[in-house]
Amino acid sequence: MRITLTVNEAKRELEIEPGETLLELLRREGYKGVKKGCGSGDCGACAVLLDGRAVNSCLVLAVKADGREVVTVEGLADDEGLHPVQQAFLEEGAIQCGYCTPGMVIAAVDLLTHNSSPSEAQIREGISGNLCRCTGYVKQIEAIKIAVERMGEGADD
Amino acid sequence: MAVAHVKEYLRPTSLEEVLTSLREGGKGARVIGGGIELVLFSPPDVTTLIDLSELSLSYIKENEAGLAIGATTTLTQIIEHQTVAQYLDGVIVGMLHQVASPLLRNLATIGGSLASANPWSDVIPLFLALDAKVTLFDGKYHSIPLSDLYPTRSHLSGSILTEVLLPVPASGTAASFHQFSRTGFDVALLNCACLVKVDAGRCTVVRIVAGGTPRLGAALPAAAETLMGMELTDETIEQVAHVARESADTRDDRRASAQYRKQLIYVCVKRCLQEIRDRLAEGKQ
Repeated sequence: MRITLTVNEAKRELEIEPGETLLELLRREGYKGVKKGCGSGDCGACAVLLDGRAVNSCLVLAVKADGREVVTVEGLADDEGLHPVQQAFLEEGAIQCGYCTPGMVIAAVDLLTHNSSPSEAQIREGISGNLCRCTGYVKQIEAIKIAVERMGEGADD
Repeated sequence: MAVAHVKEYLRPTSLEEVLTSLREGGKGARVIGGGIELVLFSPPDVTTLIDLSELSLSYIKENEAGLAIGATTTLTQIIEHQTVAQYLDGVIVGMLHQVASPLLRNLATIGGSLASANPWSDVIPLFLALDAKVTLFDGKYHSIPLSDLYPTRSHLSGSILTEVLLPVPASGTAASFHQFSRTGFDVALLNCACLVKVDAGRCTVVRIVAGGTPRLGAALPAAAETLMGMELTDETIEQVAHVARESADTRDDRRASAQYRKQLIYVCVKRCLQEIRDRLAEGKQ
């Protein structure tokens, strides 16, 4: 069956199987920033934005994305540079092996889009669906706090 | 592929079409909301998916009967709704924040949470304690107490769950929910929801529900009966928690032992009732 969706602002018409997941479709189409981790919604490595909300793409049927907008980590940066969350992760060293990073960044972008001044507890809850086996989460939380500040400054302009 | 045996995907635009597709699809047809469980468990007998997302069932409405929530409303949409945040001191939002992760709550629907009847569900015990009602459509609309849906779910055969209604709380009512899990994200080892209505200092309505025992959330009538007509004091709370522990039918599974769960029920009931007492006291000021 055919579906039409927007991936990172590009309209795509794709042939899919009805039982295929969004994760399988996106990786097949070359969006390798979307990682397969557990495949059961536990680790968050496969997170993408679906109509602006972060979801585990391993548990979303590809057909459910028909007519909707998908943003992967590849779609966050623009001509002016990285997304503030990506930039803060980079500067803070909130990465080690990097496998969880795309999903973690996507979850943080959802959080900051819907809550411009989250508390630390809310930041922790915001990334509670994303497992990181290397870093211990401290630097990610610091990075997200920095992104909050910068995005707040941008909003004042 | 994740769900390889699925051959057909339907997205009907009317409830009548859903029923027709269900009849035609027979045993292989499955209704999906967020579709999480379908992908996760990939049941081999499912060949046709009937997606409810085009039925305009994503809504939260306030009417004279209470808060009506459409079946395909996501848990995140409920958390972010201002009226829900005010319902009984935010007890629903407080519970939903403990369900899975934000990523999963963006997908999971309230209809799916109630219809799939997972024994570890946090939603079901609280909604049972709140005396929620569900609307089913089988060609006509029927409203039944949520408690009638379980444990068999026979009402769902040939029906679609379209809405859940949380009744307007009577004055002097407070509710509370507590759960234990190994991590913030894991399913509950045990959860408990209580609702109490107090008239002139005496408890006149009491509902105590425990879930993840490890079976589906169910009322603890002996514990509720102990509190009826009594005042909420340290002594009565202790007594009720004790009866809850003794009367609850807990079992062993790979997550926890029956004995440990009994102790968790005691602690959960106690915390719930203490919180209810505090909330009622705050409400009077």
